[in-house]
Amino acid sequence: MFEARQLMLFYENMLALNNVSLQCEADRIVGVFGANSAGKSTLMYTLSGIMEDIQKKEQMAGGERITIRGEIIFQGRDVTHLKPSLRARAGIILCPERRRIFPECTVVENLMIGGYLANSSQTEETLGYVFNLFPALTRISKRLGGFLSGGEQQMLAIGRSLMAQPRLLLLDEPLLGLSPMIQYMLAKSIKEIRNQRGAAIIVAEQYARPIMPIIDYGYILENGAAVVDGTNKELMDNPDVKSAYFGQ
Amino acid sequence: MDIVIYGMVTSCSLALMALGFTLVYGVSRLPNFAHGALYVLTGYLAWLLLKRVGLPYPVAMILSLVVTGIIGAAMYHFVLARIRGMPISEIIASYAIGLAILEGMRWFGLRGGTFRLPPFVDGATELLGVSVDFQRLIVVGLGVVMVGLLWLFVSKTKLGLALKGMAQDERAAMTLGIDSDTMAVVAMALGSMLAGAAALVLLPLGSIVVEAGYHVLIMAVAVCIVGGLGSWNGAILAAFIIGFAQILTWKYFGAHYQVVVALLAIIVTLIVRPSGLFGRQKELEERV
Repeated sequence: MFEARQLMLFYENMLALNNVSLQCEADRIVGVFGANSAGKSTLMYTLSGIMEDIQKKEQMAGGERITIRGEIIFQGRDVTHLKPSLRARAGIILCPERRRIFPECTVVENLMIGGYLANSSQTEETLGYVFNLFPALTRISKRLGGFLSGGEQQMLAIGRSLMAQPRLLLLDEPLLGLSPMIQYMLAKSIKEIRNQRGAAIIVAEQYARPIMPIIDYGYILENGAAVVDGTNKELMDNPDVKSAYFGQ
Repeated sequence: MDIVIYGMVTSCSLALMALGFTLVYGVSRLPNFAHGALYVLTGYLAWLLLKRVGLPYPVAMILSLVVTGIIGAAMYHFVLARIRGMPISEIIASYAIGLAILEGMRWFGLRGGTFRLPPFVDGATELLGVSVDFQRLIVVGLGVVMVGLLWLFVSKTKLGLALKGMAQDERAAMTLGIDSDTMAVVAMALGSMLAGAAALVLLPLGSIVVEAGYHVLIMAVAVCIVGGLGSWNGAILAAFIIGFAQILTWKYFGAHYQVVVALLAIIVTLIVRPSGLFGRQKELEERV
């Protein structure tokens, strides 16, 4: 359903993604793990098309030269050079790193902006689903996005992405800066989303512990290259992964 | 009492002048320096349609607004889209277009003070002991209505919400399928029409002259800088501050010092609080 083949990305001459190939079938959760600067966000930006936009802007301003090589195939269609809004239309929705909530909009408005691509019956249905999935949002539905706590913002960000009716949901570091309790709660919700919405999900995360149990397949990124991959069982049994991510 | 009433009138007209500019800047980070030109253009178009073509006044107004909207959208599509992201070029290009429009109109025959749009309702009234003409009251009314409509638009409709999202976080909006260029075209069209609407209510108070274009641009920029570039609430508040300051200067120092107020406001703001009253610059400070 979704496949990235031999992605290479250069900032000027610096290699940020080195020959990364990854696949994700419908109804699967794929994990991408790596430390800071391993290339997780770069990968997510490349898959969602934001990198295409950054590249264009840098080119306009005469800034950094960004080169993208490789292919991204989604539902049999080559989306490698599509701009982000068209990729979103095709069903690839990114929930960006650091959540990027609209700070001066209320929770409901944030969700409604997320529903830009949805028709009115989808909007209504998904709105109900999001409040059901994250009951904590109901109480604060009139509050401005900028005044929410980190956990609330993350729930809102995921809900907002769901409003766009994703067929492939890209979650970029959804657990960043959150308490362990909320991390496990969100991991559970991500699994529920897969089960109930039938969307494929790719999660990029450095905290492997809460995410590893819910994924079907995972990749370990190091310096921009996918060095290890396997099912969650294989990854958890791998001694290198164990020592790096589980401290054993 | 006259300070309060005329202060309201001046503030509302400033808000009307600045709304379009701040809308475009807020959504697309485009300083539209052709704003003043579009203002005069709408007035002149309405005058031509009314006096030369002989259309009824309301039809002429609506038609001139639509044409201005289309010109704004075309300006983005054909020129500004190509230099997006280079602020200096954006300013130069939009200002050049503005100059072309303004001086083009002068060449076309807009010279002298004989071009006048009739007021919507003739006459004047006495309000709390101050005599005000109806057109000035309409300015206040329309200012309030326009702000209200704009608020409804950006908080209730899908397109308005998308514009608001784009204004607050471009990248997040893009991940949700909102297209940056489409929104910029919409914002430019809307912003130009707002400039036009301001012209249609304000111009009947005087005559249509090319110089008004430069004046309106300076006022719009002053209001936006004091309010914080791209902040809609800030622009309205700043319009009231500058508006009342102007009326107070007019009352106590004389009419010539009025324009100085706006320029002084820019300088003071840039010294004391460079990001303006509701500036977005503060967001650059990392808040984790």
